[in-house]
Amino acid sequence: MILATLVAAASVPTHAQDTVKIGAPLELSGRFVAYGAQGKRGIEMALAAHGDMAAGKKIEVLYRDVQSNNQVALTAFTDLVQQEKVNFVVGPIASGIVAASVPAWREGKPLWLVPGSSSTQLEDAMKGETLFFHTYPWAYNYHENAAAAIAQAAGTGKKVVIVYSDGGYGREQLPWAKEFYTKAGFNVVATELVREGAADLNPVLQRLRQLRPDVLVGIVQTTDGIQLAKQIQVAGLKVPYLVGTAYPQLKEWADAVGPEAADKWIGITTYLPGMTRPADPNLPKLFPAMSDWETAFRARYHREPEFLDVTSYTTAMLLLVAIDQAGTTDKNAVARKLASLDIMTMLGSSKFHPTAGGAVHQAFSKMIVFQRQGDKFVTVYPNDVANGKLMPRQ
Amino acid sequence: MSMLLQCLVDSILLGGLYSLMAVGLSLGFGVTRIINFAYGEFIMLGAYGAFFCSSLAGIDPLIALPAVAIGVALFAAIVFEFSLRRVLRAPAINQILLLFGVGLVIQNLAAILWTGDARSVETPYSLTAREFGDINVPDGRIVTFLVATVLIAALLWWLHRTELGRAIRAVAQNRDAAVLMGINVMRMYLLSFMLNAALGAATGAMASFLLTVTPFMGFPMLIKSFAIVVLGGLGSIPGTLAGAFLLAFAETAVAYYVPDGIGWAEGVAFAVLLGVLIFRPRGILGQAVEVA
Amino acid sequence: MNANRESGSPTSLPIALLCYGAAAVAAVALPLAGSPLAVNLMLRAGSIVMLAISWNLAANAGLISLGHSTFWGLGSYAALLMGNRFGWPFLPSILPAMALGAAVAALLAVITGRLRGIYFAIATLALSEGLRVIAVMLPDLTGGGAGLFIDQTLRPEPRLTAIVTALGAVCFALLAHLLSRTPFHYACRAMRNNEHASQMLGINPLRFRITVLALSGAIAAFAGGVNIWYGGFLDPDIGFDLHITILAQIGPILGGIHTLAGPIIGGLATLLIAELTRMWFGEQGYSLLVYGAILIVSIMYMPNGIYGTLRRLCAPWTKRRAAAKTALVAS
Repeated sequence: MILATLVAAASVPTHAQDTVKIGAPLELSGRFVAYGAQGKRGIEMALAAHGDMAAGKKIEVLYRDVQSNNQVALTAFTDLVQQEKVNFVVGPIASGIVAASVPAWREGKPLWLVPGSSSTQLEDAMKGETLFFHTYPWAYNYHENAAAAIAQAAGTGKKVVIVYSDGGYGREQLPWAKEFYTKAGFNVVATELVREGAADLNPVLQRLRQLRPDVLVGIVQTTDGIQLAKQIQVAGLKVPYLVGTAYPQLKEWADAVGPEAADKWIGITTYLPGMTRPADPNLPKLFPAMSDWETAFRARYHREPEFLDVTSYTTAMLLLVAIDQAGTTDKNAVARKLASLDIMTMLGSSKFHPTAGGAVHQAFSKMIVFQRQGDKFVTVYPNDVANGKLMPRQ
Repeated sequence: MSMLLQCLVDSILLGGLYSLMAVGLSLGFGVTRIINFAYGEFIMLGAYGAFFCSSLAGIDPLIALPAVAIGVALFAAIVFEFSLRRVLRAPAINQILLLFGVGLVIQNLAAILWTGDARSVETPYSLTAREFGDINVPDGRIVTFLVATVLIAALLWWLHRTELGRAIRAVAQNRDAAVLMGINVMRMYLLSFMLNAALGAATGAMASFLLTVTPFMGFPMLIKSFAIVVLGGLGSIPGTLAGAFLLAFAETAVAYYVPDGIGWAEGVAFAVLLGVLIFRPRGILGQAVEVA
Repeated sequence: MNANRESGSPTSLPIALLCYGAAAVAAVALPLAGSPLAVNLMLRAGSIVMLAISWNLAANAGLISLGHSTFWGLGSYAALLMGNRFGWPFLPSILPAMALGAAVAALLAVITGRLRGIYFAIATLALSEGLRVIAVMLPDLTGGGAGLFIDQTLRPEPRLTAIVTALGAVCFALLAHLLSRTPFHYACRAMRNNEHASQMLGINPLRFRITVLALSGAIAAFAGGVNIWYGGFLDPDIGFDLHITILAQIGPILGGIHTLAGPIIGGLATLLIAELTRMWFGEQGYSLLVYGAILIVSIMYMPNGIYGTLRRLCAPWTKRRAAAKTALVAS
């Protein structure tokens, strides 16, 4: 009886064609809540800046909590696609949750923008899909850029060790890191696995100490990145170049590890706090200069924006503008419009392009390599945007 | 050779942290016979307490420890009075599920109030280490080891030398006899649950500078504490200490000497646990505890 | 699936069979007629009910499991690997999944020997955590932490997986019902209360333990195996998820442990609560908070579960009717 009621309730389709529905399945609770919260803030802010009308219709964003749980993600996605019949979906962000959503996406294939997941397994699964737009770098983008930057500063033939987590994040990126550091002329002498959430990384660090590496690449998520940076400092491990994948630019990370341990860490990103990016000449209100946007963000949320705040704002805004310009809510027309947009955003040009891995629409994969030097970020690569040189630690 | 010494030092220091972490759960179980599935969340609350004392008032976690422990213990008293008291006579599985629900609520409340951001406290001793030849001994872990030693010694003294402590032990050993001796069992339950929370909070205060603080840090720590308590023998504090060091040695040795060992270490913990359960179900130093 | 089944044990077998028949028809008809979301809900409902029945079956024999994700995860991995490695389609792949679940459960029964109560519970927890570590550390087999997609070309229509899940739930409920009418039922009760006494009844405790656990393991593995074909993606955190373990217990305890209808009612109620809290409180991220609070209150105020509470509430009414009947007979 309970079930019958549920099924009956679920079977009543909603007919409201005077609105544009955008589905936002996000990690609003559970262990990836930090990601989902940033995703939601970005979308909210984009909506506030844009106004709630697009293509002559009222915009309705349907936030769904996926609880950082794959089964719930599947249900939430199915609900959005099949029941609410949304044509547009933004999110989720964590790679495991995105992967779990793919089968549900296939059942209705809305226009799907993913401002997260660097997993090349996802890239492979979405090969040739014209309605899939990825606005976050892929795993290889990180290592291609970082390897080139360090090779340029340190010369080749140096010893690299890679520390990676046993979770999806580390496993997924390890082969790419190996490939690109080797290609750039480095000698990858060890790859060390660490357990997600391990209480003591010292065994790994002591083993690495004997190899006297020149470069240490830490492919772990933020919490483990904090543990790694702190324990490297405590162990007095003298490695000239410390590289982290997605955490050294985070205020969260720097606050937790302290200025001393965070110093000289090298990161790869598409956004750095305080970087200068001009507003788009045609749509300056929607795609403002970075500093103006950061001011607005602080006023609204009373905190510093992070990387995913910017990424999800930009992603949601691109979708809203594409709907406006297409003048319709037809997903294919909007997809075509979105693919042709060329806007100067905070993350660089919005031009979508195909990737070698088979994704049809990829934006913002041009990454910058930076180093924390004292309390400053110094951009060191690519050379056309660099404002300083890479310095070895000690 | 220096690697072997380093491995030993690391194990002993980790054993100190594990002892403090598991002893609270062990005490709580010994008295109430309830596995506190919200124990990890008490650790988490202690860690946040220490973090906020440090970030808002600049108070060192060691100074903040007593206040944080008392605060979390009072919170535990509220949990006990308003929920646990009602299910004391219910089957163990109901209690587990109830406390799991309590943990879920605390975890999500923390994520809402304090966001999911990862944090950590910086203290004068959290990023420094002592060098003895090739051996590296982190100061933060020495501090933790000392705090664990002092707290556990104090606890054992209290349990054996004070009237209240003896009463608690009497309840742990034989509830019915304790009732006949005129001990207020309900009060002892409450007290042991509060002590359990206070020790969890003390562990959290140590974790605030040693590890990374998030709303979800508790559950894996609960599972590990649980493994240690069973390893040592349910309800036996000396057993728990032995279990903590045994696990620390096994994990660290595997991490040092097996390729990808740190990934297997946790598996080793559960393999050892399963082995102990099969061959010596009462744990390595377990007392005769009849648990249905 | 419908309220009539609450009357499970006291009703005569033909009426009960009729109920199961009706439920089976519903299990096929609802996914065929309903929307895709209904299909999804049927699938989750069926899975939760199967987990609850499986857990309750073991609990009936005094074997409280804290590691039901073991069997769920093994079933999921077995089905996925049969598909991806050997090209087995959906339905055949469920058989090895069940076999693996049953085999590991039987092995668990043997190695845990006479372990009971909390010790048995902890052994099951250790097993499921150990298997999760193994799944993480053997990426060549399991895909490791990065996970695996199931072969897309083999995936069945979602409706089919929902029908199989719902029918499975009905069949296993029927199986539990039929078992309760055999001496098996008394053996369970004897085992639960006192193993020595059961020996005197002429029950071989070990063989009995193996049978009960293997059955329980096979049911949970069935649920996991079917689920992976619907979900399409598997990693160790999904397969050996502690929340599956918790979910398996919430059903029976919320519904009424050691009863026939309890796990079914409890499983469906769990899903209802989970979905409603997600719908109403999801946007602010409060859904898990409210879910936890409801769980606490339910266990505090319904120690015998929903079924137990309903029976207590109905008791005066039933008694009065019985009294009236006696009075009538007496006159």
